[in-house]
Amino acid sequence: MHFALPPRKTSQPPPYLRPAARLPGFRRTRAKLVALTGLFLFTILYLIAHLRSSSSSSSHAVPAPPPARTRNGPGGGRGDPPVVIVTVLDETKYTKEYLEAVRENRVQYAEKHGYTTLFATPGDYDLNNAPASWTLVPAIRDALTRYPNCAYVWHLDAAGFIMNPRLKLDEDIMRPAQLDKLMRRDVPVVPPEGVIKTLAHLRVEDVELVLTQDGREGLSAGSFVLRNGEWAKFFLETWFGPLYRSYNFQKAEVHALEHIIQWHSTILSRIALVDQHVLNAYNKGAGGQEYKDGDLVVRFPDCSGKACETETQAFVQAWRRAFDAA
Amino acid sequence: MSLSRSTSPIPGGGWATPGLDITGGRSSPTRALSGTPAMWQQSSRLGRNHGGGGYGGGSNHNNRYPSFSTRTQGFFGRHMRRLSNSLPRFNSSPYYADKEKLGRERWSAQNATLPGRIRSILGRMGRKMKTRLLFLLILLSLLVFFNSPGTAFVYWWRRSSWFGGGEKFVIVIGANVGGGVMDWKGGKEWAIERHSLRNKKQYARRWGYDLEIVDMKTKKRYAHEWREGWEKADFMRQALKKYPEAEWFWWLDLTTYIMEPSYSLQRHIFSDLTKHVYRDINEFNPLNISHPFTDPYLDAESRSPVGDGRPESINLLLSQDCSGFNLGSFFFRRSEWTDRLLDIWWDPVAYEQRHMEWPHKEQDALEELYTSHPWIRKHTAFLPQRMINSFPEGACAKEDGARDERFHYDKKDRDFVVNMAGCEFGRDCWAELSGFKDLSYYLNRSWWERFKEDVVAVAWKKVAGRKVKL
Repeated sequence: MHFALPPRKTSQPPPYLRPAARLPGFRRTRAKLVALTGLFLFTILYLIAHLRSSSSSSSHAVPAPPPARTRNGPGGGRGDPPVVIVTVLDETKYTKEYLEAVRENRVQYAEKHGYTTLFATPGDYDLNNAPASWTLVPAIRDALTRYPNCAYVWHLDAAGFIMNPRLKLDEDIMRPAQLDKLMRRDVPVVPPEGVIKTLAHLRVEDVELVLTQDGREGLSAGSFVLRNGEWAKFFLETWFGPLYRSYNFQKAEVHALEHIIQWHSTILSRIALVDQHVLNAYNKGAGGQEYKDGDLVVRFPDCSGKACETETQAFVQAWRRAFDAA
Repeated sequence: MSLSRSTSPIPGGGWATPGLDITGGRSSPTRALSGTPAMWQQSSRLGRNHGGGGYGGGSNHNNRYPSFSTRTQGFFGRHMRRLSNSLPRFNSSPYYADKEKLGRERWSAQNATLPGRIRSILGRMGRKMKTRLLFLLILLSLLVFFNSPGTAFVYWWRRSSWFGGGEKFVIVIGANVGGGVMDWKGGKEWAIERHSLRNKKQYARRWGYDLEIVDMKTKKRYAHEWREGWEKADFMRQALKKYPEAEWFWWLDLTTYIMEPSYSLQRHIFSDLTKHVYRDINEFNPLNISHPFTDPYLDAESRSPVGDGRPESINLLLSQDCSGFNLGSFFFRRSEWTDRLLDIWWDPVAYEQRHMEWPHKEQDALEELYTSHPWIRKHTAFLPQRMINSFPEGACAKEDGARDERFHYDKKDRDFVVNMAGCEFGRDCWAELSGFKDLSYYLNRSWWERFKEDVVAVAWKKVAGRKVKL
C-alpha cells in the first residue's frame, strides 16, 4: 500500500540496538539461503519417500540376481573329499570274486589319494520298473547327497579297473589347465556323423561333466566325471526323468544320456569329451581305443559272468603289482 | 489505483498527457520500433496529422479534448490501452531508433524481453508474496509429478533401479494368438487385442516397466502336434535375451485385464515375497501331487517341502486354479535355473509319450516336470490365484453356479488381474473383457470423473429426464 503521507513515527524511538548475533554471520540473506536449501532438501526427501512408497520396490527389496555362473551349489565343491568314486556292483551280472576285486581296486585307489568310494547295488533305489542299469544315476545323486562338499564324482562301472595309481583324478585330469588340453572341441557327440557337436569355444571353467565316447555305440556312461554343484543335480535328475526311464531306449540310460545331451543346450554346453585313454580305455577287441600302459583305467564293456573273471585276470594282477609298487 | 503517483508512467503505456492526440485513449505507438519513445512518436504523428490532414481519416476527431474525458467512453474506449498493449508488435521502421532518447524509455515495457518483464514483476513484489508464490509453484509441480502417471519424470524415476526399480520387470504378452489362421479374426477379436494391449501398455508405462508384445501367430515350426503351444518357452527365452537388465518377467495371456493399475508389482508381490507365496504345494493341491520328495538319495533341500525357504531361490512364480497349474499369468526370474527349465520344458521323448494325454501342452508338461524333478520343485513357488490371476465366474464354475473364494474375481477385494481363461471355448471373450474393462474404470475413477458421473450426470438426469454421458 502506498500512502500520500508516511505514517507517523512514534515519539519515543526505541534505543538503537544491534540484534544479538546468535550465530556469527547469520544474516538475513544467509537465513534465506538456509531456508531455501532446507526447502529444496525437504522436497527431494519428500519426492523420494513418496515415490518409494508408491512404487515401493526399491533395489533392496528385489534382491540382485545371482552371479551369472554359480559354479557350485551351497556347500558344494570345497573338495572334502576331492573325489567320490561311485560303482554299482551287480551280483546278477558278475561273480562275487570279481566284484570283490573291483571293490578292492576302488578302495585302494581312494585311500591312496584321500578319496572316498560309494558302492551301490541295483536294489538300493526305487527305479519304478526301469532296467537295473539305471541304478547308476540315483547312486551318483546319492553320492552328492552324502558328500555335499566333494569336488567331483567319478562314476566307474564294475566292468573296469583303475590301473595307474600314480595318476590323481582331480589334479592330473580335472585341473583346468590340464583339462583344457585334454578336451576335444567341435566333435560330433555321437560319432561318426552326428549333427550335434561339442561346443567349439567351450571354456574349461564351464565344464561340468567329462566323458568319453567309444568307437562302437557313441557315448559311454561307463566312466565319467561330474563336478559337484547345482548343475550336477539338475543333470542327474533330468537324466533320471520318469519319461526317459519308461521310454524304450534301446540302451536305456546310455541312450537317454545321448538324447538329453543332443536335445538340450544347457546340458551340451557343459560337457567335455576326452580321449578314451584319459578315463576309459578298452581292452583288446572291445572296439574302442585300446588300453596301453600308463592309462588310468581299463574297461571290459562286453564281459559278464564267469568269463569276466578269467578275461580280466591279467589286469587284476597288473594293478595289484602297480598299487604295491606305488 | 492510487492517485498519489499520478505522474508516474503506467507500465506499458505512454504519458497520459492531456491535450495531445489521444485517439480512443490509446497512448502506445502502433508501429514503433522497440527503441522509439512513445512521446516522440505521438508528437510526430500529431504534427503529421496537422500538416497532411489526410492521415488516419477520422481518427483525430476528439484531439482537442483532455484525456480524462475518455473515461466516459464505451468498453473499447476504456480498455483500448490494455487490449492494444497485449497485441503483438511488429518493428517495421528501424529508423525511428533515436539515440538521444534511448535513456528515456527505460520504464517502457514494450522493449522488455520476457525474463526482463518477469524480473520487473518480481521486483515490484513483496518478499512474502514471493515465498507464497514459490510454495504454490512447488505444490503445483508436485501435483503434476504425482498425479499424472506417464509423465516422463515419473516414468524415469520409477524405472531407475535406484528409486523405483521398474526396469527390473518386463511384461510379456502373447498377442495375435492363432494369427487368424485357426479362426477368422473378426471385429471382436481385434477389439479384444486392442483393449487388452492398451491396458498393459498403460500399466507398463505407469510403473516404468518394459512391455514385450510377442506375435503368437501360428508358425510352421510349432504346427506339429508335439509342438503346439510351445512358442511360450521360446518367447520367454527371447525376452530374457532382449532385456538383459530385467530380473522378473511376467507372462500374460491376451485374455487378461489388469483391473487395478495402481498396484505396482513391487508393492503387490515382490517387496515381500515370503509373505505372499506358498512353496509347500500341500497348502492347495488340486493335482494331489505328493510333496515333498521322500527318496532317500536326495539331499535335505530337495526333500524339504519349501526348498531352502529363502525368497531369493524362487525362480518361477505361478498360481493354481481349480484344475492345477495355470500359465495365463505367471512370473519367471532371470537365472540359470530358468534357462534350464525353458530348455528341458519341451522334449520330444516326453511328447511322443504324452501328447495325447496333455491337452494343455506346456501347462501339463510343467506339471509333469514339477512332479518328477526335484530341481524344479525347490525353485518353484505359488501365489494364491487371486493375487495375479482371478477368474471370471464362467471359469472353474461349480455346478450350482456359486462363486468360489479361491478362484473368482471379487470387486470388493479389488483383485489385481483377471484372466478370462477358456473364454474362447463357448463363452464370449469380448463381453467378458469389456465388462471387466468398464468395471476397472468404474473402480478407479478419479475424483473429477466421480463428480461428473455421480453428481452432474445424475442431476442432469433428474432435470432433463434422460441419461447423459459426460
